[in-house]
Amino acid sequence: MSLETRFESMVMPQLDAAYNLARWITRNPHDADDVVQEAMLRAFRFFGDFRGTEVRPWLLAIVRNVAYTWLDKNRSSDTVEFDEMAIPGVEAERPYSSYSEQNPEVIVLQSATSRLVNQAIESLPVAYREVIVMRELEELSYKDIAAIAGIPIGTVMSRLARGREMLRSSLEVRMRKAS
Amino acid sequence: MSHADTAMTEAELIRHATYYRASPALQGRIRTSLRFVRSPGRFDGWARGFAMAATVAAVAVVSWKGALLAAAPAADDELAREVTTAHIRSLIAEGHLHDVLSTDRHTVKPWFSGKLDFAPPVEDFADAGLRLTGGRLDYLAGRPVAALTYAHQKHVVNLFVWPAQTPRDVSPVALSRQGYSMQHWIEAGMSYWLVADVEPRQLVSLANVVRKVP
Repeated sequence: MSLETRFESMVMPQLDAAYNLARWITRNPHDADDVVQEAMLRAFRFFGDFRGTEVRPWLLAIVRNVAYTWLDKNRSSDTVEFDEMAIPGVEAERPYSSYSEQNPEVIVLQSATSRLVNQAIESLPVAYREVIVMRELEELSYKDIAAIAGIPIGTVMSRLARGREMLRSSLEVRMRKAS
Repeated sequence: MSHADTAMTEAELIRHATYYRASPALQGRIRTSLRFVRSPGRFDGWARGFAMAATVAAVAVVSWKGALLAAAPAADDELAREVTTAHIRSLIAEGHLHDVLSTDRHTVKPWFSGKLDFAPPVEDFADAGLRLTGGRLDYLAGRPVAALTYAHQKHVVNLFVWPAQTPRDVSPVALSRQGYSMQHWIEAGMSYWLVADVEPRQLVSLANVVRKVP
C-alpha cells in the first residue's frame, strides 16, 4: 500500500479527534481549523517514520504541539506556568470571553445543559482542560494521555482529579446562576 | 435547570459536553493541501535523487533550492507584474481596496469562507506596526486569491495569499516593479506576495512581521 493510501485510511479517519482536541485547546473554531490543517500537513510529513500501531495518540500529540505553539503566539498568558496547588480560578489566564457565548448560532444548537458544561470546561486552565477532554470526550487511556501531553501518568491522574474538582465547583456556580 | 440536573455528578454532566467535529470545508482544505504534498512533482523527484546521492542532507537542500531558484524567475517575473497591477488597481479604483472593511480578523477570516476554496490565514499585526484594515477577493495567477489589506504608517500594504503549487517552503525573495517593493515566499503550502510603496529594506521587515520571524 502506498504511503498516501495508508495515510488516507489510517490518519484521515482521526480528523474529528484532531479537530475536537484543537477546538477545546484553542476554544475557537477558526483557530482550530488552522491548527488542524497545519497538524495534518505535519502528520503527513512524519507519517513515513510512523512505526506504531496506534494512530490516534500519535496524531493528537502533533495536534497538541501545533495548538500550543499557536497559544504561545496568540495569548502567551494561557500557557503560563501554573502552580498545581493553586486555588481554583485564580490561575493567571487572559480574561477570556467564550466564543460560544457570543455566537447566537452556536447557542441555539446546544441544549442548556450542554452550554453550561461547555462553558465550565472552557473556563478551566488549559493544562486541566486538555486532560479532561482527552479522558472524558476522547476516552483515551491514562498511558496515552501521558504520552500525548508529555507528562507522567501520576500527573495525568492528579490533573484529572483536580480538573474534575474545579469543574464540579464551576458547574455548581453556573447552575445556581441559571436556576 | 431542574433539580435533577444539579444532582448529576460532574461525570454524568460531562457527557453533555460537545464533541466538535471537523467541517466538510476543513476536510476539503486538508485534502487539497495534501494533494500538493502527495503528487511528487519534478522538483520532488530531483530532491530525492540528490538526497540519495548526497551523503550530507544539507547538500541536498542547497542543491534543491538552487534548482528551484534557477527555475523560478520566469514565472515570478510575470506574477510580479500581475501583483503590481493588482496593487495599483486596489489603490486607484474607488472602493476597490476592500470588500470587507474590518480590523477584526474574526470578521475578515470568515468573510472569505465560501468565496474561496481555501482559507487564508488572517492575522492582525497592529502591535508590530502593520494594522489589518480589511480584505477582498482578487484574481492572480489564473485563480481567485485572498487579498488582505494592511496599513503601515501612511502606506497601504496588500498581502496576496493562495495555495502554492509546491509543498516546499521557499524563503522570501525581494522584487520590485515601478517603484513598488514586493516580497514573495511560500510557507506551509501557501504562496504569499506582500507589496507596498515602501523601501525594499522596510518591506523585508514587514515580511518578517507577517512570517513572525524575530
